[in-house]
Amino acid sequence: MDLELSEEQQMIKDMTRALLGEHCPIEVVREMEDDPKGYPAGLWKQMAEAGLVGVLIPESHGGGGLGLLEAALVYEELGRAMAPTPHFVSAVLSAGMLLEAGSEAQQEAWLPKIVAGDAILTPAWLEPDRGFGPEGVALAAKREGDEYLLSGVKRHVNYASSAERLIVLARSDDGVELLLVDPSGDGVELKQIRSQSGEAHYRVELRDVRVPVSARIGAAGSGWETFAKVLQDGLVLQAAQAIGGADRCLENTVEYAKVRKQFDKPLGAFQALAHYMADASTQIEGGRVLVHEAAWNGALGRSTARFAPMAKLFACNTYQDVTRVCAQIWGGVAFTIEYDTQMYFRRAKEMQLSWWDTPYLEELVAADVLDQ
Amino acid sequence: MDFDFSPEEQKFADEVEQWLTENHDPVVMDPTRENFTQLADTPERRDFMKKLAKQGWLGMSWPKEYGGQEIEGVYEFILNEALSRHAAPQIGKGVGIIGKTLIRHGSDFLKAEFLPKILSAEVEFAVGYSEPEAGSDAANMQLKADKVDGGWNLNGQKMWTTSAHFADWYWVGARTDPDKPKHDGLSLFLIPMDHAGLEIQSLPTIGKDTTNQVFFTDVFVPDEYLVGKRGQGFQMIAEALDLERFTMFTLSPISERTRVLVDWAKTATRDDKPIRENPDTRRLIANIVTDTAVAKALSTRFVCAAKAGGKPPSIQSSQYKLFTTTLSQRVCDEALDITGAAGTIREGQDEAPIRGRFEGAYRATMNETVGGGSSEIQKNIIARRHLGLPKNF
Ligand SMILES: Cc1cc2nc3c(=O)[nH]c(=O)nc-3n(C[C@H](O)[C@H](O)[C@H](O)COP(=O)(O)OP(=O)(O)OC[C@H]3O[C@@H](n4cnc5c(N)ncnc54)[C@H](O)[C@@H]3O)c2cc1C
Ligand SMILES: Cc1cc2nc3c(=O)[nH]c(=O)nc-3n(C[C@H](O)[C@H](O)[C@H](O)COP(=O)(O)OP(=O)(O)OC[C@H]3O[C@@H](n4cnc5c(N)ncnc54)[C@H](O)[C@@H]3O)c2cc1C
Repeated sequence: MDLELSEEQQMIKDMTRALLGEHCPIEVVREMEDDPKGYPAGLWKQMAEAGLVGVLIPESHGGGGLGLLEAALVYEELGRAMAPTPHFVSAVLSAGMLLEAGSEAQQEAWLPKIVAGDAILTPAWLEPDRGFGPEGVALAAKREGDEYLLSGVKRHVNYASSAERLIVLARSDDGVELLLVDPSGDGVELKQIRSQSGEAHYRVELRDVRVPVSARIGAAGSGWETFAKVLQDGLVLQAAQAIGGADRCLENTVEYAKVRKQFDKPLGAFQALAHYMADASTQIEGGRVLVHEAAWNGALGRSTARFAPMAKLFACNTYQDVTRVCAQIWGGVAFTIEYDTQMYFRRAKEMQLSWWDTPYLEELVAADVLDQ
Repeated sequence: MDFDFSPEEQKFADEVEQWLTENHDPVVMDPTRENFTQLADTPERRDFMKKLAKQGWLGMSWPKEYGGQEIEGVYEFILNEALSRHAAPQIGKGVGIIGKTLIRHGSDFLKAEFLPKILSAEVEFAVGYSEPEAGSDAANMQLKADKVDGGWNLNGQKMWTTSAHFADWYWVGARTDPDKPKHDGLSLFLIPMDHAGLEIQSLPTIGKDTTNQVFFTDVFVPDEYLVGKRGQGFQMIAEALDLERFTMFTLSPISERTRVLVDWAKTATRDDKPIRENPDTRRLIANIVTDTAVAKALSTRFVCAAKAGGKPPSIQSSQYKLFTTTLSQRVCDEALDITGAAGTIREGQDEAPIRGRFEGAYRATMNETVGGGSSEIQKNIIARRHLGLPKNF
C-alpha cells in the first residue's frame, strides 16, 4: 500500500495547477458564465499544447496515452479552478466512445483533432422528462436504406454551439445507436439554455435529420453499452473534479475564517464553525482517496463498476455539503455575486445532478451489491 | 500509488488468515462480540494470546533489541484487522501503549521487568487516565501522588478503567506536581492491580461489557515504578494516543457489519416481498456500502501516513476515527430501521433478526464516538493541527 504520487504524476498535477492559475483565473471563470461558447479559447489552446486535452487518448492517435489516475489528478485541478472547458464531453466521452467502438476511419477523422483541441465533439444524450438509463433514450432513428432519419429533442447538450459533431444517442429498431451528427446541418436547431452553473448548455432539436449509416459508432444496437462503459470511467473524473472544487472552496473559507472577526474573535475560533470545517476536511479526504482508488483500479484495467459510481456519489454529495457549509461560514456575503463561494455552491449542485445523479448512482451501487 | 498490499504484506496477510482459520476457537472468537472480544476475561482468551505470542506476532514493530522484528506498523495493522475480522482479541494495550512508551521512555529496570512478559502475553494491563473531572480534558487528572521516602503515595479516584477487574497491572496517570501548569504536573506509574488500597467497583454499561471505577487509599508505589521522568506523564500519554488510536478502532467490525447487513437484505422478506426491492432500503444500503468504502480509504490513508514515518499521523488518525465511529453507529441504526420492530428483540433470542447482532451492536457502539477521544476532540485536533484555525476552547 502506498498513496504517494509518482514524480511524473506530481509533475502533471503541478503543471495543470500552474497552467490554470495563469490562464483560468476567477475573472475568466466569471466571464464564461452564460457565454454562448462557454470556454476561453486561450485556455483551451494552452491545455491542448500542454498535452492535457489528449491525456487519456493513446499515443497512436496523438494523445498522451496516460491513465485514469493521471486524468483524475488533472480533473481535481480543473475542479479547484472551476475551469470551464469542453474537456469532459469531447476528450473523455466523445473520444472514449470513438476509441471503444468507432471505426478506423472515424478514429482517424476525429481523434487527432480532438487531441489538438481543433475539434470539439459532444454527446447529445438526455431528453426532456426522461431519465438517465437506456429507457431515457427515445429520440427516433428510423432506418431508411443507407440512412437514419432522426427526430426528437435533446437537452443539456454541453458546448453544442462549438461542436463539430454531436454524438446523438437515438433509438432504432435495433436498440440505442450512437450517431455522428453535424450540428450545422439541415434540420438541427440549437437553443442555449441557462443552467445553474452558467455552463454552456443547449437544447437541440432534430427534425428529419438524415445521417448515413456510416455515421454510426459501433454495431447496430450497441450504443448504450458503449456509452455507459465510457461514462462509467468518466464518473471517476467527475468525482475528482467535485473533490477539487470542494477542497478549494474549503481552503478559501478557512483563510477567511482566520481573518474575519466577530465578537472580537476570528470566526475560526468559534467551535461551531471550526467543527464544520473539520468535518468538511474529513469528508474531502475520504472522497479523495476513494476517487484515487477508483482511478487506480481503472488504470490497472480492473473493472470500475463498483468504485466509480460510489466515488461520484460520495464526491458530489461532499461537494454539495461542503459548499453549503462554507456559504454558511461566510455569512451574508456568501449570498452576493461578488464573492466566489456561490460559484462553487452552484457548480456543486449542478455536478450532483449531471452525468448520473444521486438516486441513479445509489441504484447502481444497490444493484451491484443486492441483486447479484 | 498502490492500493494493494505488497507481495510480502500479502504473504503475511495470507499466513495470518490461514493460521486463524486453523486455530479457530468458538469460545475466543465469538462473532457476536465483534471487536469487544479483548474485554472478555476467560482462560481461553489468555491461552489464545499466548499462541499469538508463540507465533511471534506480538510486538512485531518493536526494535530487535527488545525482542521485536523492527518491521513496519502495517504488519500490525494487517494482523489486527484479521484478528478483528475473525472476532478474535487484538494485540492489545501492552504491545501498543505500554510497551512502546516503555521502549521510548522507560528505565532499564522497567524494560527488563515488563517487555519480555508483554511479548510472551503473560501480563494484562488496565489503563487509568480518566477521572470524574478528567475525561476529554485528560490533563486535568487530580489523582494525588505525594512524594514519600522511596516512592509515592497515591490517593483519589479513577473512572472508566476498562478491564481493571481482571488486569494484572495498572498504568496510571497521577498528579505529582500540583503547583506546576496542569500539563506539566503529571507522571505515569505502574501498579499491581491487586495492590492493597485499590478498590475496584464495577460499572455496568449498556454495551456488552462492564467498565470500572477505582478508588485509591494510600497506595504506595516504589520509585522504580515511575515511568519516564517526573512531570512527563501528559506528553507520554498524548504520544501513545497518537500512535495507537487506529488500533483501538479497527475497521473490520464495521465492514463485517455492512457485509452481514447486505447479505441479510438480499434474502429477507416483508409481506412476502423481498426487502431488497424496497427503494428506501436500496438507498440506505447504497450509502452504507459507499461510506464503508470511504472508511476503508481513510484507513488506507492513515496506514500509509504511518508507514511514511516521521511524525505520528495524528490528523489522519483523527479523520479516520471521526468518520468511522460515526459510520459504525449509523450502520447499526439503519440496520435496525431496515429490520423494523423486530430489531428491538434483544440479542441472543431466537426470533431476533440476524441473531440480534445489530441490536447488541447498536448499544455497544454508543461509546465509540466518546471513548478514546470524543468526536469533538478529534474535530478540535483537525481544526487546529490540520487547518491551522485558532485555538477554540
Ligand atoms: C439577503 C440579506 C439581506 C439582509 N438585509 C439586512 C437588512 O435589511 N438590514 C440589516 O441591518 N442587515 C441585513 N442583512 C445582514 C444580516 O443580518 C447579516 O448577514 C447576519 O446578521 C450575519 O452577519 P454577517 O453576514 O456579517 O456574518 P458574520 O457575523 O461574519 O458571521 C459569519 C459566520 O460566523 C458565524 N458566527 C458569528 N458569530 C458567531 C459566534 N459568536 N458563535 C458562533 N458562530 C458565529 C455566523 O453564524 C456565520 O455562520 C441581510 C443579509 C442578507 C444575506
Ligand atoms: C466504555 C468506556 C470505556 C472506557 N475505557 C477507558 C479506560 O480504559 N481508561 C481510561 O482512562 N478511560 C476510559 N474511558 C474514558 C474515555 O476516554 C472518556 O469517556 C472520554 O475521553 C470522554 O470523557 P468524559 O466521558 O469525561 O466526557 P466529557 O469530557 O465530560 O465530555 C462530555 C461531552 O463534552 C464534549 N467536550 C468535552 N471537551 C470538549 C471540548 N474541548 N470541545 C468540544 N467538546 C468537548 C465531549 O466531546 C462530550 O461530547 C472509557 C469510556 C467508556 C465509555
